[in-house]
Amino acid sequence: MIRRLFMVLCGSGVVALAACDWMPGRPERPTVDAHAPTMAFEPLWNTHCAGCHGANGRDGAARPLNDPLYLSLADDHWLHMITTHGVDGTLMPAMGTAAGGPLTPAQITVLIEGMHDHWGGAALQTAPPLLGELGAADAGATVFASHCAACHGDDGTGGHGAGSVVDTSFLALTSDQALRIAVICGRIDLGMPPFDGRRGLPPLTDQQVSDVVAWLAAHRVAHPGAPYPAVTSQGAQP
Amino acid sequence: MIRATTRSVYDWFEARLGLEKTLGPSLTHAVPQSAKWWYVFGSMTMLLFMVQVMTGICLSMVYVPSADEAYASLEYLTYDQQMGWFLRSLHVWGSHLMIAMMSIHMLQVFLFGAYKFPRELTWIVGVLLFVCTLGMGFTGQVLRWDQDAYWGMGVGMAMAGRVPVIGPEIVHLVLGGPIIGGESLSRFFALHVFIIPGTLIALLGVHLLLVVKCGINERPTPGVLVDKATYRETYDREVHRRGMPFFPNAAGRDMIACGLTLTVLFVCAMMFGPAGPNGRPDPMLIDTAPRPDFWFQSIFAVLALLPPYMETFLILGFPLLAGAVLILLPFLSGDGEKHWKRRPMAVLFVSVLLVSLGSLTWLAYQSPWSPVMDAWSALPTPAQYVKGRSPLALQGAIVVQNKQCRNCHALDGQGGRRGPALDGVASRLNSDQIIRQVIQGGGNMPAYGQHLTPAETTAVTAFLMTLHDQWEHEPATGRRTPRD
Ligand code: HEC
Ligand code: HEC
Ligand code: HEC
Repeated sequence: MIRRLFMVLCGSGVVALAACDWMPGRPERPTVDAHAPTMAFEPLWNTHCAGCHGANGRDGAARPLNDPLYLSLADDHWLHMITTHGVDGTLMPAMGTAAGGPLTPAQITVLIEGMHDHWGGAALQTAPPLLGELGAADAGATVFASHCAACHGDDGTGGHGAGSVVDTSFLALTSDQALRIAVICGRIDLGMPPFDGRRGLPPLTDQQVSDVVAWLAAHRVAHPGAPYPAVTSQGAQP
Repeated sequence: MIRATTRSVYDWFEARLGLEKTLGPSLTHAVPQSAKWWYVFGSMTMLLFMVQVMTGICLSMVYVPSADEAYASLEYLTYDQQMGWFLRSLHVWGSHLMIAMMSIHMLQVFLFGAYKFPRELTWIVGVLLFVCTLGMGFTGQVLRWDQDAYWGMGVGMAMAGRVPVIGPEIVHLVLGGPIIGGESLSRFFALHVFIIPGTLIALLGVHLLLVVKCGINERPTPGVLVDKATYRETYDREVHRRGMPFFPNAAGRDMIACGLTLTVLFVCAMMFGPAGPNGRPDPMLIDTAPRPDFWFQSIFAVLALLPPYMETFLILGFPLLAGAVLILLPFLSGDGEKHWKRRPMAVLFVSVLLVSLGSLTWLAYQSPWSPVMDAWSALPTPAQYVKGRSPLALQGAIVVQNKQCRNCHALDGQGGRRGPALDGVASRLNSDQIIRQVIQGGGNMPAYGQHLTPAETTAVTAFLMTLHDQWEHEPATGRRTPRD
């Protein structure tokens, strides 16, 4: 009798088990594929760009991209190209799959749209174009004296509140294009004003920008930095 | 009537197969009385193996071993097939439990001195069984064909690739090419479903035969030594005088243990569910944190924590050494004392092994993984280390990101833990020392001399020199902020 009861219990147990397909361990199909390539701006930025360009696009070691002026000047094609291929000879890495990086073209588009949505602003009509040729270094010296020396020192080697912009190692790691952007857009996160913001002075013209960049670029040398440079306190500013 | 028919059918077969005559004595052979609950782990392992075979066969009916479809077929099993997830769950928990049970079984055999004369061969075959089981675990994890699988395979192949001379060939053979590709999955499938299980079943047969032939170890008594000349005689005498038949006495205990094992297995499978699949494998995605199966975690920790110059030796040498020691063990100490109370070295060894495996596994789960693979592009240079830095130092900070120093070095608590945090490094080192460290590496750090231009070295040193305790407390005085 007991044995029969036991068998019945076991049998119904098995049936119940099979019928009831719900148990705590049963996995739920993920609603969004957690591992599908991310297509949202923030995670993409935070994984691939924040390291150098800063958490919210500012206060990073590399130039801020959370900069309405920059975003209004740079066209999407340019941004796409830079993000995909990086900038040769500088520390901006190639991030697109086309160049061996982690980001698909679609992801890069998401990034660029996201930057505009989150950080973009009204376009400025009067700004010098983002791309331009090098100008005349001599004329650039004058521009530097009037517009830059106050902060970067008379000869550019650092002064009141900003460091050297003629350091050969710095120049070796920075493209002319990046210098131009620095002059036009400044570094709003670190206190360098954009082209129209220098106190009491007229905004820089396209020509002046090209000239002062040429002056900076003229400080490049063939063999910058030494394997064992005598670094003292150059990193710190006066 | 029915009984009579059954009887005659049985007899018909028995007359031809002679099973009862051959197996009967094995089933009822006498085993020592003292074989108590300690001796059930072997049977539990075997039971789990049988569960693995059965669930594995069921799984193979749905699983498609092709790189394109494997993942989809697993998703189908997990989400669409009625109780499919439970099958996968049973299989994965069965494998975990089997590895765990087998380890316990081995420890028990080791501590009870059961590997000593005359059971050396039983032990050696057991060691081979263990290797096969780990192989099953490894290849099984790969069949999941998700990102963890990819990671596991990458690590495994990196290990194999280190074998001198024939390393690349081994990798080629297993992967079906120099890199992980579609071929690789078929190879791993063949390994997991035919080659290793075949070997395992054959070895298991030998193991069981040996267990019957050499008898079950009596429970050791301190002070009673194994003497090769007299052991067998004494054993036989004792077993005859005071033994009990394996079936049903000892077998009963085994069955209770097996019932318990099955219950644990079912509960685990029900409560915790199957493992993965965790995302399609994709060599482009470096930003996934792999979560290999638990017994793999300690290897994970070793890999991350090892100094590079020891890696080849340890990764390659250690398994070989461990295997050699295990196999030679019965020859090194084939007789003498069996009881663990009189074998302090054995106990010490087991404790050290357990503690180190335990702590490595703990580290692996704990660890802010070192190196942190996406730190370089994901963790911003802390804003306070950007403010007030010269353009050169800013480039240096970008070098730290770009050259992936942060994968090993934390700044402001974020980043890898493989090297020391670099906050305040300038208070510890002068610029010459920093340059030397960066260029020549040393003490677990790769030498960057070849990978950094002089300009980059200058910049990174300039940046690191600003990471000085005083910098934060005495911000550059007299500094005019541009907009004031
Ligand atoms: C390893 C550091 C690093 C990472 C990571 C990084 N950048 Fe850059 N980026 C730089 C540097 C350095 C420059 C300046 C390059 C130069 O000198 O021209 C730069 C410049 C840029 C520029 C300006 C180029 C121009 O000339 O107009 C854009 C746009 C940009 N990065 C986008 C991105 C995006 C988008 C990501 C994330 C996918 C990213 N960067 C990730 C270091 C980085
Ligand atoms: C109000 C002060 C101020 C003025 C004026 C100024 N800068 Fe700067 N500049 C800074 C600061 C602050 C930084 C951030 C780096 C630092 O702190 O040294 C900076 C950085 C730079 C950089 C490096 C940008 C980078 O991303 O690393 C360049 C190049 C530069 N300035 C060029 C110029 C030039 C050319 C002018 C004149 C057209 C100029 N600056 C005018 C304050 C100034
Ligand atoms: C693979 C991991 C790894 C990477 C990548 C790495 N380091 Fe290191 N680093 C270490 C380890 C480990 C040490 C500790 C060396 C020792 O024990 O002497 C160290 C030490 C240092 C030290 C000395 C710190 C001190 O307090 O003694 C400096 C400075 C340093 N690294 C800078 C760098 C820079 C700059 C980079 C990038 C160019 C870098 N490291 C990349 C692992 C790494």
